[in-house]
Amino acid sequence: MVLFTMLFAGFAEAQFQQSQPEPKELSPVSRTYAITNATIFQAPGRKIDRGTIVLKDGLITSVGKNVSIPPDAIVIKGDSLHIYAGFIDGLSHAGVTKPKDESNRERPKDPGNPSPEIAGITPYQDVRTSLNPTDKSVEDLRAAGFTVTQVIPYGGMLPGTGAIISLTGKTADEMILAGKSVFYSELAPAQRVYPSTVIGVMAKWREMYRQATLAKNYETLYASNKAGLNRPASDRSLEAFYPVIDKKLPVLFEADKYLDIQRVLALQADFGFSVIVGDVKEGWDAIDKLKAAGAKVFLSLELPEEKKDKKDDKNPPKKEEPKKDDSAKADPEKEALEKRKAESIKQYIGQAATFKKAGIPFGFSTLTVKTSDIQSNLRKMIASGLTEDDALAALTTSPAQLLGLSDRLGSVDQGKIANLVISDKPYFNEKAKVRYVFVDGLMYKYDPKEQPKTDVPAGINITGTWTVTTQTAAQKQEEKVTFTKEGNTYSGSITGAGMSQAVALEGIELTGNKLKYSYTTQAEGQSLKVNVEATIAGNTFKGTSSAGSSTSFSIEGKKDPKR
Amino acid sequence: MKKIILMICLSIFINEIKAQSQQGNMLIKNGTVLTVTKGTLEATDVLVRNGKIAQIGKNISAPSGFSVVDATGMFVMPGIIDAHSHAGIDAINEATSPVTSEVFTGDAINPFQMSLYRALAGGVTTIHAMHGSANAIGGQCETLKLRYGVKDPEQLRMEGAPRTIKFALGENPTRVHGGSGIVPRTRMGVEFVIRQAFSQAKEYMTQWDNYNKQKQQKGFRGMPPAYNARLETLAEILKGNIWIHCHSYRADELQMLLKVCKDFGIKKIVFQHVNEGFKVAPELAAYGAMASVFSDWWAYKLEVYYSTAYNAAILTKNGVVTSINSDDAELMRHLYHEAAKTQKYGALTDEEALSLITINPAKQLGIDNRVGSIEVGKEADIAIFNNHPLSIYTVPMMTIVDGVVRFDREKDPADMRIYVDPKQDLDAVSLQEDYQVDRCMEGAEFMFENIFGANLEE
Repeated sequence: MVLFTMLFAGFAEAQFQQSQPEPKELSPVSRTYAITNATIFQAPGRKIDRGTIVLKDGLITSVGKNVSIPPDAIVIKGDSLHIYAGFIDGLSHAGVTKPKDESNRERPKDPGNPSPEIAGITPYQDVRTSLNPTDKSVEDLRAAGFTVTQVIPYGGMLPGTGAIISLTGKTADEMILAGKSVFYSELAPAQRVYPSTVIGVMAKWREMYRQATLAKNYETLYASNKAGLNRPASDRSLEAFYPVIDKKLPVLFEADKYLDIQRVLALQADFGFSVIVGDVKEGWDAIDKLKAAGAKVFLSLELPEEKKDKKDDKNPPKKEEPKKDDSAKADPEKEALEKRKAESIKQYIGQAATFKKAGIPFGFSTLTVKTSDIQSNLRKMIASGLTEDDALAALTTSPAQLLGLSDRLGSVDQGKIANLVISDKPYFNEKAKVRYVFVDGLMYKYDPKEQPKTDVPAGINITGTWTVTTQTAAQKQEEKVTFTKEGNTYSGSITGAGMSQAVALEGIELTGNKLKYSYTTQAEGQSLKVNVEATIAGNTFKGTSSAGSSTSFSIEGKKDPKR
Repeated sequence: MKKIILMICLSIFINEIKAQSQQGNMLIKNGTVLTVTKGTLEATDVLVRNGKIAQIGKNISAPSGFSVVDATGMFVMPGIIDAHSHAGIDAINEATSPVTSEVFTGDAINPFQMSLYRALAGGVTTIHAMHGSANAIGGQCETLKLRYGVKDPEQLRMEGAPRTIKFALGENPTRVHGGSGIVPRTRMGVEFVIRQAFSQAKEYMTQWDNYNKQKQQKGFRGMPPAYNARLETLAEILKGNIWIHCHSYRADELQMLLKVCKDFGIKKIVFQHVNEGFKVAPELAAYGAMASVFSDWWAYKLEVYYSTAYNAAILTKNGVVTSINSDDAELMRHLYHEAAKTQKYGALTDEEALSLITINPAKQLGIDNRVGSIEVGKEADIAIFNNHPLSIYTVPMMTIVDGVVRFDREKDPADMRIYVDPKQDLDAVSLQEDYQVDRCMEGAEFMFENIFGANLEE
């Protein structure tokens, strides 16, 4: 119990520290870097072989073949490296603290008139107030090659305004490239209160827009001459619409499904605001309408999974099988259904190529994709018709343009912000690994040796007792975790500071070198489910532990020597 | 200037997208044509041009490019109209408030629901996609044409059909809301909620009328009244621009709503379910109220115990414009059987029975000038059966909407899904999609938790 109280106190402290003055640290030895003799993809279609880049104080100071290296530069030999402009993501929650899950709270007495907050109507909120630069999601997205993302707050139909952030920085403010970049909305009903359906959300949206238009006009009238007029009522939610009505602030909708896009465009058609449609997964049939609405588009990097045993289908044994096994062949209905499903999946994977052909510029968004899938999903898109240049454009130049940041970001050119992704092979190559990411001229190095191969389950044995260290921003906490194995099932328990007795582990899974388990503990009278995911390498593991939905910590495990 | 041209170009483009819904040309040869309004015509051809019925007669030859359907030995009737359905929409009940007139099922059209195609396979061409019955004043409803195969939800709308709204009396609204200390808890409360809402709407209308009048005067400066989408919609009912379709069972509450309508000058009222309609049929007819009923379904809750299969016939004989509806994706597939039951219970003529599922529901939705019978100039929504549609042996063979074949028993592929969910398991394809006993209350379940437990099986 104490353990968790302390962990969460630690988290609160970490957030508090952000607003404190810089910790007493020495400045880095140098903020000048030179990466020499590398293959530089300045922008789609612009490549320099064996070129050099110099970065200084967060900016790209020179790029080219014959570049002189400043004496104070930290030199990275880039002989086998491939350099790209840092990737830009159109829509994510990276670094955004998720509010407590309140779905279990008591229903209001009058569900028809909930407070705006419960109804999910908080358009006056600003995502900048809930940014946490130490959140693991920032690190994860950066490790995938992203340097800039547009973040949006959590919430219901009108969660608030988004911001464009750099994936680096010690404080929330340091991360900001542009605040109030979009007015964010989802067609998301509230839980068990009005508006509890999509039709309620659409009606409420229209009503608020019309109310805001009237209020804004009246405020203008009032400002022109106040005498003899009643003072306008103040309403934060309606005021948040004003820049949208003026077309100074675009509305960004998360709309992954085709019908969601249609509904968003129906609202747009009613009012004519500038619209961005984000995390699109099923948009190919809406292309004409998106074009007509002048919508900007971010396509989701998440793809439906292809059936795993499809690979087996391709293997030669399948051809022999039907001869032996008539029952498998005797189901043409099932085969036809399989075929349609496969065709459907193809459409999802081919979406980016379809948009490209239709001439709609688009970026990508990472809102729902697992960061570990990003590279392979991009390769799938390329295999279904997107060129590597198109893919690179959608990761760099296009989103820079869509977000209005082309003058600062999107290409490797002198004067731009020093955001780079550096991989050991061409990025879209199957074996490519990100080796360095530069954000605002700060270097993040990724050692490929640290990532053990996933296909070595042999030799992994988790049974025994482990010392697990949880690292919060403020402190370290130790627990003892014991695993035992019977047959093919694992069981285990955890003890630690403040736990009066051992707690049983649930859902222990070991796949390859990936370990998962969870347990429930008590903190301040509340029961908390803690989920752990880790990657094992020999007698150690590294991973994350998350409690509820609020936050996650890095953890490290070390197996105790056998007694 | 450039901008203006661009805007014009854009609007043309948008209009084109909106107007894309297909209109076909065809000749239906040599069928027995049940016009419903103009008698039965043996061995007759129906010519369809640009989605409309262009000619009805003998020995019409097909203009070049027209497809020909041989209906020899078959029965050609107007497409069936279901005045009470919840198919084709993704949200049914905004059950959180006793009055939700601002919401609109037409905002959540889902053209991919398999139940739409299955309805076509039962000869249905138009449905009234209604809000549920959780609230005394529910949401606005949308009239849909079953152009199954289109993807754009806009193309399912029956453009130009009058606006309609769902009301509900009795047990549903009182159970959903009354338990948590919110009016209505009783039938008296339901009347109060409706009267109060209309009174507020009247006030609201006056406020806006005054404001708009004052605004005409030069130099006027003043605050506009607060915009309210709920009252805005109710005002449209009072102005006669939105028709009420009211979920109701008992004779006393039918009388109640008639009185309320009379007091507020509302003329367009269709009662839905109306299981006790037979008790007050003359009164309904006198007011011009219409009735949409089940053929023989009752006793699924207390207020529906007093009922009879003669209901449709009694209402019809008393001069009430009556239809038979489904309120259900499964029942919707055999509305022709439902209509036929009135010949056993009430001895209605063929034409009277067919009217219950064609021209009468068309009248109740205000679209009888466009659909509901086979007449020259009407939209070519046609169902073709291999036997007389009121025969127990009949099978629907082909269903046509706007002159386009949307269901063809012989030629349609086995898998008619438009979008295939890439994540769905193969065996998750089920016969009874979204099937529930009372779709009227779908989406309202959570409102019961504190009161009755989550039991909606009735």
